[in-house]
Amino acid sequence: MAGSQTAPYGRGTLLPEVVHDLTQDQIGAYAIPSGDHNPLHLDPAFAASTRFGGTIAHGMLVLAFVSEMLTAAFGPAWASSGRLKVRFRDAARPGDRVTARGTVTSVAGGRVVCAVECVNQGGIVLVSGDAEVTYP
Amino acid sequence: MPVSLAEIEKGHEFPPAEFELTAEWVGQYISAVRDESVRALGPSVVPPMAVATLCIRTLLEQSTLPPGSIHAAQELEFERSVRIGDVLSAAARIVSRGERAGWVLLGVSLEATAGGARVMHGRAMLTFPADPEAAN
Repeated sequence: MAGSQTAPYGRGTLLPEVVHDLTQDQIGAYAIPSGDHNPLHLDPAFAASTRFGGTIAHGMLVLAFVSEMLTAAFGPAWASSGRLKVRFRDAARPGDRVTARGTVTSVAGGRVVCAVECVNQGGIVLVSGDAEVTYP
Repeated sequence: MPVSLAEIEKGHEFPPAEFELTAEWVGQYISAVRDESVRALGPSVVPPMAVATLCIRTLLEQSTLPPGSIHAAQELEFERSVRIGDVLSAAARIVSRGERAGWVLLGVSLEATAGGARVMHGRAMLTFPADPEAAN
């Protein structure tokens, strides 16, 4: 697994991508620990009647893919010094292939700043923003 | 008694809720998000996004979301890692409320502590139609 403490990070470094094939089962599984049982995520019939036209993933489930990528890149430093600021741009749906990816935009004063995003198989941006971590 | 986020005002504080990070709950979370990088965190360390998930769960358990609610943005800062067996106290407070183009924008601060020390704080931005009839 990545997360090595010696990997060099410089401006332009690409973070290791994380790819997930999103399923309704996974969305349902996430509802249990998150306590979020909104029918928009879980009930296809209800969700079909909304402007989304079907169920969508919890935003925090998609954000977990970003965190997984940052954990792979920065290891324990991410859990103890990470900062994340994102906007949810579009909905992730069952059947989507969601890719979390990131690029280092600056390294200064022991802080590594990255642009991060999640995109679906069509290249539509689902989540975008910035992450920052104190890296040894 | 849960309160509707449609009705609460800036300054509303949700009572802190305690939650033990049991191996069972953490296992459910990791299984649901299919996080393959968790080993990079070290033994028993909980994925940081799980802490954020718990904070939002606290909010969801004490409130009801208006129809058509969308998680629009999220800011998080992780200050200390937590481990299986730690007891978290999670709190939420409404820090902003505005309306634009028929949508209510609600800013919610989130904070988690463990053993009296803050481990994470952040802010969620939720939005929902000012007119519930416009939800779909």
